[in-house]
Amino acid sequence: MPGRDTRFWTLTGVAMLAALAVLPLVANDSVKFIVGLAIIEALFALSWNLLFNYTGIASFGHAAFFAVGAYLVGIGQRHGWPVPFPAQLLGAFLAGSVMALVIGGIALRRATGIHFAILTLAVAEVVRMLISYSAYVGRDEGLAGIPRPVIDFGVTTLSLKSVNAYYWLILVICLVLALALWWFVSSRHGRATRSIALDAERAAFVGIDVYRMRLLSFTISGGVAGICGGLSAPWVQIVTPDLSHWLHSAQPMLNTLLGGSAYFWGPAIGAFVYAFINYSTRTLAGLSELMIGGILIIIILSAPMGIAGALAAAQRRLSRNYGEGSP
Amino acid sequence: MLAEWSFAIFSGLTLAMAGFLVAAGLTLVFGILKILNFAHGTFFMVGAYVTYSLVGTEPSSMTWFLASVLLAGLAVGIIGLATDFIVFRRLRSADYHYTLIATFALLLLVTGFVKLIWGLDFLLVRPPAILDATWSVGGVFVPVYSVFVIGAGVIVYILLEVLLQRSWLGKIIQAVARDAWMADILGINTSAVMTVAVVASFMLAGIAGGLLVPNQSLSPALGDVFLLLAFTAVIIGGLGNVRGAFLASILLGLIESVSTVLVPDLPGLSLYLALILFILVRPQGIFTSGAH
Repeated sequence: MPGRDTRFWTLTGVAMLAALAVLPLVANDSVKFIVGLAIIEALFALSWNLLFNYTGIASFGHAAFFAVGAYLVGIGQRHGWPVPFPAQLLGAFLAGSVMALVIGGIALRRATGIHFAILTLAVAEVVRMLISYSAYVGRDEGLAGIPRPVIDFGVTTLSLKSVNAYYWLILVICLVLALALWWFVSSRHGRATRSIALDAERAAFVGIDVYRMRLLSFTISGGVAGICGGLSAPWVQIVTPDLSHWLHSAQPMLNTLLGGSAYFWGPAIGAFVYAFINYSTRTLAGLSELMIGGILIIIILSAPMGIAGALAAAQRRLSRNYGEGSP
Repeated sequence: MLAEWSFAIFSGLTLAMAGFLVAAGLTLVFGILKILNFAHGTFFMVGAYVTYSLVGTEPSSMTWFLASVLLAGLAVGIIGLATDFIVFRRLRSADYHYTLIATFALLLLVTGFVKLIWGLDFLLVRPPAILDATWSVGGVFVPVYSVFVIGAGVIVYILLEVLLQRSWLGKIIQAVARDAWMADILGINTSAVMTVAVVASFMLAGIAGGLLVPNQSLSPALGDVFLLLAFTAVIIGGLGNVRGAFLASILLGLIESVSTVLVPDLPGLSLYLALILFILVRPQGIFTSGAH
């Protein structure tokens, strides 16, 4: 069971969070950039795992929602829509969730398993192609030079132009949404979707509306992925059709399995470890794929519980030894 | 007008057979192991690169080109043997999510190797001199190489059909695909049969890569293009069905050629729309017979 010793995990979590919060004061801009992106990818992976572990659905085109959110905010900022930034982020959330509602509403009725996986992959490819054929959003080159926003509160303004300010915004929003997801999976709805993941037939038997609960998860997950994209656009300052590429759809899967899909925070751990590997192998073309692919294979073959699983096992061993040693 | 249509249909058929060459191995391995191999396109790409390393930019002769294609198939087949022992065998009883993601990891791993060995630059291989010409058929110019690709696709299809339907090994493969547990009880070494199917699938991927490398811009992204086309063909044809994959490839090639004439601004989109439509309407594929 994850989280047997809650105090250990709470302390680890608070320590990591504190480290993330003070990072802008000590690190240089490129490290801040990587970590900021990793925070967004962590939330993106958490939204994917809401489907994978907590509902039993494998989405292979999750990047489509991310891309739609990113483009919405990217266009809004770049073309200077007269819409305040918080409303744009909300728009990214709504766009992602409405899209998921429509796709899921049709597809979850008819396709499951491998077919659903391929279907979502194809949808993401269609999104990528439509974006790259549209002149308004800059075709294959995408939209570059997206400015970071200034939020106007009437009496005062909050400028997010600086790297530090936007970094903290990312951290706060991602943390709030991650906690909201956590709340969802521990709620009775979350337990219902979890039972569907374990055995859909039995869940239907005890009176759970499998289709509706799957659709609920898919909609929430799509919305969160959309807001991840929306947050990333002013941070990276460029959006390209590759945001919807299936390699990007693979990102949350990699992070989730790397970190451990059975643990709620596993995907987030995976996202940071992945970012670290990627950053340290960036110099040689192909080395990062080699490392990531190799690590993933090793994890699937020998440690399917991921890093969080390995950590939990080590922690259990430690506390057992400690318990024996003390009087 | 007529010339435009016949050219479009001809290039559609070329695309169809190119797609089938990749789809054949994919559907074979799915039929027997129930593994949808995401890395198949990458091994196809390895075949293309090995052929490039053997023939260079200008193949010296047709014989050497064909020999290199076979060598590439052999090399990729050996990789397949290793992959089966290291990865697939250990995932035979795992949840399909994990096998899907494992093949995805393989995709990344092999792409990484390709980038390290051959680099990121675009490479070009010309067809052998015999194939590097055009015929004029009724006012339409057809590249000989395209005829060669169509011919290769048809030959591979016929060989596979005969091997699977008529030969002793093919029948055993079908038996294992239908019911591995029962086949095991009847004294068939199912594990070995599965290995044979994986090696055959990988060899097909390597051969397809070699055959299709001329006139392609060879880069580490080559695998992706054909993988999605082959995926579509395999799904529409019914997973694990070679004949279905063949007919679905032709159908897709024709859809693509019609849409390039009708909506030239949106290349490639029609394939995905066809895929989405088929999954929603007929997820079991167009040929439900279940047999190969």
